[in-house]
Amino acid sequence: MIQQILNGLIIGSMYALVAIGFTLVLGVLDRLNFAHTEIFMLGGFVGLVVIQAGGPLWLTLPVAFGVCGGMGLVVELVCFRRIEGDARITAALSSVAAGLIIDDLLQKVYGTDPPSLPLPGYITDAGVRFLDTHLTYLDLLIVGVTLALMLALQLFVARSRTGRAIRAVADSHVAASLLGINVRRVTQQVFFLSAALAGVAGVLYALRTDIANLQAGLTFGLKALAVMAIGGMGDVRGAVIGGLAVGVLEGLAFYWGLGGYSDLVVWIAMILVLLVRPAGLFGGGVHVRELRA
Amino acid sequence: MIPDYVFFTCDNILLAWSVYAVLLSGNLSFAQAAFMSIGCYAAGILTTQYGFPFYASIPPAMALSAIIAILFGFPALRIRGIYLILVTVGITFIVRVALENMTITGGVHGLFGMSGADQWDAVGAVILVGALLYMVSRSPLQRLLDVVREDDQVAAGLGVNLTYVKLVSFAAGAAIAALAGALYGHYLTFVRPSNFDILVSIFCALYVILGGINNMWGPAFGAAFMTLLPEFIRALQGWRPTVFGVAIIVLLLVRPDGVLPFRTLSARWGRRG
Repeated sequence: MIQQILNGLIIGSMYALVAIGFTLVLGVLDRLNFAHTEIFMLGGFVGLVVIQAGGPLWLTLPVAFGVCGGMGLVVELVCFRRIEGDARITAALSSVAAGLIIDDLLQKVYGTDPPSLPLPGYITDAGVRFLDTHLTYLDLLIVGVTLALMLALQLFVARSRTGRAIRAVADSHVAASLLGINVRRVTQQVFFLSAALAGVAGVLYALRTDIANLQAGLTFGLKALAVMAIGGMGDVRGAVIGGLAVGVLEGLAFYWGLGGYSDLVVWIAMILVLLVRPAGLFGGGVHVRELRA
Repeated sequence: MIPDYVFFTCDNILLAWSVYAVLLSGNLSFAQAAFMSIGCYAAGILTTQYGFPFYASIPPAMALSAIIAILFGFPALRIRGIYLILVTVGITFIVRVALENMTITGGVHGLFGMSGADQWDAVGAVILVGALLYMVSRSPLQRLLDVVREDDQVAAGLGVNLTYVKLVSFAAGAAIAALAGALYGHYLTFVRPSNFDILVSIFCALYVILGGINNMWGPAFGAAFMTLLPEFIRALQGWRPTVFGVAIIVLLLVRPDGVLPFRTLSARWGRRG
């Protein structure tokens, strides 16, 4: 049982990383970026390319960070920049279309069978033991990287000059631009960050499952979207707690022999949370007001 | 080949209309694959295991799908906009996992042995549903739906029961999707839960966006265009999602109301010139 809870926490930390990307874009720019799920999936393939090219394992993370962040900028340019104002659903749909394109093009290159990642055994098999549980070094790496990224993001948003600009834009686009903040540049920064985090999560997910999977976007990625809704729209803390909670619940579903239903957990939890607290468990701000309007 | 073109075009038109029926009251649904699968499996189980004739299995399947839509929709339709989209995505996944885990549906291996539908059934269904939607578009009901879609607070102020109107349109969309699903299953003779992927839901919604959401011809055009285009232009075969994605993005940039954005001509519209 403890093993399943730990597994849940590891999966959950990846959910959280993807959900943070969703929630950043939604919280700051009031846009839902469906292409985020496919950028997450792309991260796995970036990792595959790096490893196949003979690169060391650690190199996959910064490369995915950069490449997927760049893809985030492309998505922002193509799907979001021209669609202004109140057209949330239009923007969401055009990002759905962008996701379709990314997915289809990758499928053209790699085919429908997920290619496997050649990984050294010392990271996937060896590990530490305590209390009857077994954690591989890979598991520790995943948790370490996600925790480090979350902390770095928190510090970046709370302390840095750019972070202050991001918070100002989240509060009001108009006021921020009157104060001399370049809203377009902040928008790009937010998209880059969000996509880069998804890319790293994609590498970690591909490492954990041993394959770069084309389906990852529409399964794992969309579940992270539900996690975001559970935690609260636009709330980073909610995304983290929601991700870990959902991961643990799924782990427990396996423990109780309901593995076939584990995909249900997150969606049912999301619907229940939205019914009781439409803004999510930790949500606040503009989204609550919009829902009550 | 030709019967295949006709069948899948008609089936996709039905699916696009099922999204349109929900959209009439202002909600975008990504749950149509779920309702399609419910209709498909319900009709399939009735014909293969209970000996129903094909046509007799359709009304119960549509009714079941509508009832399930009401069960999901009654609490969920109070949620709005992007949040409701998330809920409908969730419905697609929930129904698919349920189908994979039930024994009566054959689990992940799928359901075999349905037969009896041909392309003319699909054409007939399109004509029937089209006539129904056309009658709605000329009736006072359309004005009620218009006000609910454009400004639900005004509608509520006018004494319209919002929940009721949205539920009816959600259930109608589910019933139309179930009809498309029943035809689909009995034409293919074999279905698996993976036939009703979230991608199907996404495609159905994008047909509608491509064609335009203001009248019933837009969705039909979008579905027919995207079904037939890759078949007739050889070079595009196998590139369907990319072509579709590019078409949607370009369209949303240059013509956000869809290809056919005009309102259906109604008696009232004609009088005002």
